[in-house]
Amino acid sequence: MEKIKGNAFLLNENVDTDQILPGYAMSYPVEELKKVTLRGSIISDFPERVNPGDIILAEHNFGCGSSREQAPVALKSSGVGAVIAKSFARIFRRNAINIGLPVITCDAIDTIKAEMNPKDEFEVDILAGIITNVTIQKQYPLNPLSQTTLETLQAGGLINKVRAKLMERGAI
Amino acid sequence: MNIIERMIAHKANKESVKVGEEVSVKVDLAIAHDVTGPLAIDQFLKIGVNQVFDKNKVVFVIDHNIPCSSEASRVQHRTIQEFKENFGVKVYGRSEGVIHQVIMEEKLYKKGDIVVGADSHTCTAGAHGAIAIPLGSTEIAAVMALGELDMEVPETYLINIEGELQPGVYGKDIILYVIGKFGTNGFTDKAVIFGGETITSLPYEEKMTISNMMIEMGAMIGYIDQGDEEIGKVKETYHIKAQDLKPVAACPSSPGNVKPIAEIQGRKIVQGVIGSCTNGRFSDMKIAAEILKGRKVAEGVNLIVVPASKNILEKMEEEGLTKIFRDAGAVVTNPGCGPCFGAHQGLLSKGDVAISTTNRNFPGRMGHKEAEVYLASPRTVAESAVQGCITHPGTVVSLEG
Repeated sequence: MEKIKGNAFLLNENVDTDQILPGYAMSYPVEELKKVTLRGSIISDFPERVNPGDIILAEHNFGCGSSREQAPVALKSSGVGAVIAKSFARIFRRNAINIGLPVITCDAIDTIKAEMNPKDEFEVDILAGIITNVTIQKQYPLNPLSQTTLETLQAGGLINKVRAKLMERGAI
Repeated sequence: MNIIERMIAHKANKESVKVGEEVSVKVDLAIAHDVTGPLAIDQFLKIGVNQVFDKNKVVFVIDHNIPCSSEASRVQHRTIQEFKENFGVKVYGRSEGVIHQVIMEEKLYKKGDIVVGADSHTCTAGAHGAIAIPLGSTEIAAVMALGELDMEVPETYLINIEGELQPGVYGKDIILYVIGKFGTNGFTDKAVIFGGETITSLPYEEKMTISNMMIEMGAMIGYIDQGDEEIGKVKETYHIKAQDLKPVAACPSSPGNVKPIAEIQGRKIVQGVIGSCTNGRFSDMKIAAEILKGRKVAEGVNLIVVPASKNILEKMEEEGLTKIFRDAGAVVTNPGCGPCFGAHQGLLSKGDVAISTTNRNFPGRMGHKEAEVYLASPRTVAESAVQGCITHPGTVVSLEG
């Protein structure tokens, strides 16, 4: 898996799915979701500032609330490379992995934030389980992903895994 | 094995299962609605399979934007109707009601079934003893193709409530109190059972209010003890005395920010909402109508009444409830999710304050992110609408009366 490189956006606790992608935008075509991504959060100018590969550093319970998969789809189509948080809500975490957006828990979030400057560049190595602040040359450990989660990410999402399973059974 | 583990083992076709084990379970019902369904359909079509696992077990309910709230929402309706034509799945597309209410009324699942839904409040079916798991659209697409779900066996927690509820305290107050106590991530990835005599003796409508909001504390499975089977060994049991529970509200902007009404009463409101999949059932409407009969909604307040289904609306009409609401100055809408999820029918502007029987009050949930939404029981909302401010139940109509 390729390493993810970009700047970091900081978010607070309990960032819910309404903040990530509002209800009215669930009807938008996928390519338009990025216009409103995180508008409801403390970084409401996110759509104007985000660049491909950027990462989100968040606190506990990221993605709580709705089952709307448009929320992780919006982050992914905005170019977000990974979301690193202290913890994730269940459905959001599964949705993100299912569409191939890496979401990983990390216990060093407070340290990373304390030691970083706003424009620092980061690199996430999912297989090694490491996030590096490239600007200050410091590494921090990520919590390991389960085998199933890694397999889904490596397959590029759940749909590819389902296709493989059905091919094995001769159903497609 | 406890009751949850026994049901999972049965559906996984195994003698026994252990906490943490990954199993594959047979699914009895897969559901989605107009804003999660089209994404599930797109993903399903990418798989390339030419049929769904069982066309009687794949059900779409158009409830979020009905009638359409935009041209884009019309496209979503059409996607679902075309899928029905091509794959023969079931669609409820005539404002029959909110998905969780419709599948219950239509008896599309039974006790012990595995229900999966592309809506976080799928856990509502736990009130009737189903293992009901909320998922996203891609996972529903996978289930539509395979007829099975890969899941891990969760730890189970029991919340036991015993004793008699005080007048003015409802299922909504019970679940809000518990969410406030344990927090919005209190049970992430866990199964939670509500049990005890207070719970098992509640009418089914109140049980559905409780199971509906179990996702607001992060639960993977929300289950109401059916009272007919041994629960068995759980990770931990919490005991709550019903007598200690008070009328409460979730304050802005989290379902976990719960305070007694007595501490927040007097806060001026511009909108009240009675309804949704949480509290849009007939008994909720009856309680609200008793308060509004012969009275008026306060000047400057919009009261929106949203029945959870067409059947409920019909019963409201038969018994004169819709007339009572309209005479009081309220708007009775068609069944659906409108005001709850912030796409249409009752959006708030910056600085507005609303009180609602719905299930979420996150920033921006009902319009502007600096509007404030309080969540409370239908009785509290009805009394607040009459008074024009957050009001303790019993103020407008005596609790004894």
